[in-house]
Amino acid sequence: MSVKYIPVQWNANKWKYDAALIVAVVAYILIYMEVGTPAAGLERPLDNLILRMRAFGTCAFWMLTFILCIGPLARLDKRFLPILYNRRHFGVLTTAVAFSHAVFVVSWYFSFSPTDSYVALLTSNLSFGQVLGFPIEALGILALFLLAILAATSHDFWLAFLSAPVWKSLHLLIYPTYALVVAHVALGYLQNSENQTFAFLLVGAGLTVAGLHFLAWDKERRVVAATTDWVEACRPEDIQDKRAVIVALSKEERVAIFRSGNSFSAVSNTCAHQGGPLGEGKIVYGHVTCPWHGFSYKACNGRSPAPFTEMIPTYNMKLDDGVLYIDRQANQPGTDVEPVIYEVADNG
Amino acid sequence: MAKPQEPFFVGWGKVPKALKTFLALSTASFVISFAVAAFAISATQTDTGSGAFMGQANAVGIMKVDPYPVLHVIESDKFEKGDVVLLSGGGKRGVFNRAKNLDGEIVQLAGLRMERGDLDGLQLRGGMRGLSVAENPDPEFEIEVEPLGRWKLAGEICDGKCLTGAMRPGNGLAHKACANLCLIGDVPPIFVSSGPVEGHEFLLMAGADGKRLGDEILDFTATYVEIEGEIERRGGMLVFKIDTDTIRLAK
Repeated sequence: MSVKYIPVQWNANKWKYDAALIVAVVAYILIYMEVGTPAAGLERPLDNLILRMRAFGTCAFWMLTFILCIGPLARLDKRFLPILYNRRHFGVLTTAVAFSHAVFVVSWYFSFSPTDSYVALLTSNLSFGQVLGFPIEALGILALFLLAILAATSHDFWLAFLSAPVWKSLHLLIYPTYALVVAHVALGYLQNSENQTFAFLLVGAGLTVAGLHFLAWDKERRVVAATTDWVEACRPEDIQDKRAVIVALSKEERVAIFRSGNSFSAVSNTCAHQGGPLGEGKIVYGHVTCPWHGFSYKACNGRSPAPFTEMIPTYNMKLDDGVLYIDRQANQPGTDVEPVIYEVADNG
Repeated sequence: MAKPQEPFFVGWGKVPKALKTFLALSTASFVISFAVAAFAISATQTDTGSGAFMGQANAVGIMKVDPYPVLHVIESDKFEKGDVVLLSGGGKRGVFNRAKNLDGEIVQLAGLRMERGDLDGLQLRGGMRGLSVAENPDPEFEIEVEPLGRWKLAGEICDGKCLTGAMRPGNGLAHKACANLCLIGDVPPIFVSSGPVEGHEFLLMAGADGKRLGDEILDFTATYVEIEGEIERRGGMLVFKIDTDTIRLAK
């Protein structure tokens, strides 16, 4: 959280996260070029730039696959949430690696010609009407363009400028981008290569991404929406101290009931920052804290602590016969609501 | 008894102790998966064969510019007498404009030699040092021409420069746009036959009239195709005079 926009709000966890990313990418490139390729037993070495374009291109694909797995993994197992925390840096680095791949392609396949490199890139293969020989460069250019948009708008400035729903919709472009990259690889290198390993990895990566998303979707759809004005939520004892229970009011609207000692408050489950699931968060330093990026709100009024200005809706609650009920009509963001007090026996 | 609290990670805070081992193992698995994937993909790359630049070469021979400029070698420090050498300029350029007035002349050439199997190429040096009329020609050398009839062949259309060794690999779908760019730049097209024809795997391509081909082959480069046409042996090289109407993607 920040009251002003700065390029990167560094902290120890981000440094560690980025260090792991860089180690993985450097290891990939070095092993690809200096260990694996010499072990391939080629009669003569490949062109260095072709080797680089292969190394960076496949690395970008591998990175993109991991990025797409993080979201559903975090939905299925909360222990993966720390990997979600700095995912935008992962995305920016992936764009840089993909861009390097493109630079190597242009400076080798599309240079040394009487035709301008960028004109050649767009015009030297126009066989759009066939699968075999389809201009894979067009798919790659489009994918890189989308990645660049996502990387450029990954900063919180754009999130605030565009609003969270628009920003989230924009960043769903990662899925068509991945499809373009799969097509780029499948119609080019893969279709022409006898390299079965890469074929298995490509298919395995695609199935893993699809499978994890299906499992996460399946988990979400099992939530049954409420149908009455006062929605039965849970017993106060069901909520661990400093934690929450999530209640679905409809397919889109969910409420997080937080407990702090013997005090119970209900707020929207959706973080004002990136829509993170607040109910999977915790009360830290007296504030509801989002599990995605650590944005904080007071449970009693849904307001971020000063000087921050983010607000989320609150909900009225009542206790009836030892059961908590939520008024399905949300209050305006930042509205004060008196907490429900109930002395929990286990206090734990 | 109260359920134990799950560890909670906040980005700006300390990593909970209960998560440290999990995150350390996850990070190690992440890095190792990158290393394993890199090795698995790179160590199983397809061999691109023998084609490569083979150093400087000089040659004297008869220049023929139809369908594309080639040299029928009379004497050379690197080529054998009777070899036919595909000629190209720097980068993705042919040498038709430099050679067109020397058709049938005995010329001397210098440049960078390329070789893939029985396919020879030469990237000419610039100016007179790369291509000029020979000073003491040997008039005894003759180019034998023999028609070999009509054939239907399956294989791949490549550009004669990258294939011969200017790029490694210089064929295949990933290289298609580059091959097209070379052909647009007037580099000779070569047909790589799936089976040998009279002992040759590589055939210089021409139109049915024996002249240079146009853009009609660009949709079919770098893919496995079938083509019909007449084959003619010209010295040490086969020329495949194709009927462009018969080109189709092979099954």
